Amino acid sequence: MNGIKILLITGVAFIAVYFFIRLRNSLFDLLLLLALIATAIIFILFPDITNQLAAKLGVGRGADLVFYTSIIIFWFVILKLYARIRKLEQIVTTVVRKEALDKEKDTNK
Amino acid sequence: MLLPNHDNTYIIIPAYNENKEVLDQTIDELLKTSCRIIVIDDASSEKINLPDTKNIFLLKHPVNLGQGAALQTGIEFAILKKANYIVTFDADGQHTVGDISAMLLPLQKAEADITLASRFLKPGMHNASGLKRVILRFGRLVNYFFTGIYLSDAHNGLRAMTAETAKKIQLKENRMAHATEILYLIKKYKLKYKEVPATVTYTNYSKSKGQSVFNSIRIFFDLVLHKLFE
Repeated sequence: MNGIKILLITGVAFIAVYFFIRLRNSLFDLLLLLALIATAIIFILFPDITNQLAAKLGVGRGADLVFYTSIIIFWFVILKLYARIRKLEQIVTTVVRKEALDKEKDTNK
Repeated sequence: MLLPNHDNTYIIIPAYNENKEVLDQTIDELLKTSCRIIVIDDASSEKINLPDTKNIFLLKHPVNLGQGAALQTGIEFAILKKANYIVTFDADGQHTVGDISAMLLPLQKAEADITLASRFLKPGMHNASGLKRVILRFGRLVNYFFTGIYLSDAHNGLRAMTAETAKKIQLKENRMAHATEILYLIKKYKLKYKEVPATVTYTNYSKSKGQSVFNSIRIFFDLVLHKLFE
């Protein structure tokens, strides 16, 4: 095992621990995370697998394939985050609106 | 010109950092009617002072949410007050008070559930610049693309609706995309809508408060997200 592999696996392990602590309550997210981490570690240990996969899919190198899939995953994550932000915004709006309506009821005629 | 009994008509004015003189003038004009006025202060930095009469209500958002959110707050308040008709009106003085009765007429005759003002139905009802006209034309196309409703005007702040309609209009778009969201809701609930010619007078002030090209792009993204998530 060479240096870069140890470095990458340590990084993945830290991220894994962090998310395991945070996602304790949602089983689906945990399973998804587990699958992602397993794939990451396998690819780090045996990079040739990505090369073989890439060749089958008609992409030049294994690293390129990983890069392309990462972009798609990032887009997905961004959309999920946007959805979460919108939801938060709606919650804030509900609270603010209630406050505005209640206050007017108190002070006026 | 206005029918005498309008105390069940509520006019909603979203206000955010409005020029005091312009807002006061708008309110003064509206006070000449018998309509009730609801001003929603969307967390302006300076305190808004309004004449102390029973026809005016002032609601205040503790934090800034956007025009769509302010309108929705006003609509919900008007429903609480058992309004018969609800009119939305911009604070920047671009609308004409005299147009309100024409906006209400189709509702009173039960010809429409909601009326939307248009500055382009008749010639000479606006003084929009060339660029503004291009943006509005684009806005109409965007509205059509998202809702299937093709209007002669886009993003006109003057609208009137019945109480029944108001209960269905539940705006989730806090910012400017609410204008398209209303059309979306009209489509969803199969509401009868009608465009009514109304004057729009742009002043330098209302132009400075208006939509920039950059803002239009933001509206577009809000609409895409609305389609995706709602």
